[in-house]
Amino acid sequence: MKQWLLICLLLFAYSSKAQELYVYTEPASNMAAKSIGFRLNNNFMYQKNSNGYRYMLAPEIMAGVSKKIMLHIEGFLSNMNGDFKLNGGTVYAKYRFFSIDDVHSHFRMAAYMRGSISNLPIQQPAIDLLLMNSGVETGIVATQLIKRTAISTSVSHLYAADNANSHKFSYGNKYRNALSYTISAGRLMLPKEYTSYNQTNVNLMVEALGQTNLYSGKSFIDIAPSVQFIIKSQMRVDIGYRFAMINNLQRNSENGALLRLEYNIFNAF
Amino acid sequence: MKKIFLIIAVLFTATLQAQVTKVSLQASGLTCSMCSNSINKSLQSIDYVEKVMSDIKSSTFNITFKPGANVNFDQLKKKVEDAGFFVANLKAIVQFDNLTVEKDNHYNVAGITYHFLNASGQKLNGEQTIQVVDKGYVSAKVFKKNQLYTQMECYKTGVAGTCCKKTGLADGSRIFHVTI
Repeated sequence: MKQWLLICLLLFAYSSKAQELYVYTEPASNMAAKSIGFRLNNNFMYQKNSNGYRYMLAPEIMAGVSKKIMLHIEGFLSNMNGDFKLNGGTVYAKYRFFSIDDVHSHFRMAAYMRGSISNLPIQQPAIDLLLMNSGVETGIVATQLIKRTAISTSVSHLYAADNANSHKFSYGNKYRNALSYTISAGRLMLPKEYTSYNQTNVNLMVEALGQTNLYSGKSFIDIAPSVQFIIKSQMRVDIGYRFAMINNLQRNSENGALLRLEYNIFNAF
Repeated sequence: MKKIFLIIAVLFTATLQAQVTKVSLQASGLTCSMCSNSINKSLQSIDYVEKVMSDIKSSTFNITFKPGANVNFDQLKKKVEDAGFFVANLKAIVQFDNLTVEKDNHYNVAGITYHFLNASGQKLNGEQTIQVVDKGYVSAKVFKKNQLYTQMECYKTGVAGTCCKKTGLADGSRIFHVTI
């Protein structure tokens, strides 16, 4: 089963016209300088314990500070702890430091950093800086485009701090560090021929998202297929679902759906 | 006084006649229409750009300019790079007025200094298409290949240096290396 999925992922990655605008990860490329993007991320997370879904709404603002630097600021509202309320937020910065470019190919690398705050009680040894944990992530991402095929991979270090509201990271200091790794591929399905900016683009993506705790050695690897619509070359609708393929690092919610709406303004400042 | 008017009139017509009228720019490294649109919008933000017609499939942008515009190739390139991409190819249509171009010489045409790499004494008249081949305007391979045309240092730096003394250019002034 695992091998079959891996083969599918590779075949998919090598098929034509891949896209870099991944749903669950960021590519090494940045958004245009002086542009601003707005996102509404809706997460529906299946809870094993309660056998129901929890909802998280994450409004996000993205800005292309320069051609090499971009920023994301995101807030997390959820009903994870009962009532629907603000549970934290995150700031993410990415610096594109390497770029080799030829007519039909490019290779890009970027370094990124994330700082997150969460006021939720610590509930799991897996580190989740997009809601469940306060902490810091530092990583690098590389994206290769050959002709119209793109593959992206990232490796990062995760550090879980104590959460706000005196919620200590209760698993012991040794468990605070984890390695996170991803591989992503995307493919343009429609239009067959580009004729105008008003054509809706349909992209299919598949991504593998993994984490290994550096002390316990326990891991999870999720597979996340998604479909993406780009409307008028300015708006984006992403629909994705992630599910665990390897899962021995305990989490409250493994499977879940994502609905994202995005709107971009070019030359905004 | 009449003389001054005449000089101004002559200068004015010279500028009008010898300017860049159109640029066709191909960007590299993009796969989606949103990326193409970010270049499109970025180019449109230049005040003297009149219209950008984009061919998304080939990532080519055909740019026309407002009358009397002082087109700056470096600014066009910067706008593509601001959008996160690179220039793969930049061709410009330039108005010439009986200009005879020689190898390893520099010519000022409407405020832009050109170095015609493949010049061999040909006379340029009327609208001619030139390709800018400076670093960052072509692929690294093509840039290397074009080194065969000239020994002059200004090709590598894009600015006037010791090699350009005889043509009377100030050190550090911008020279666009082009092929016809």
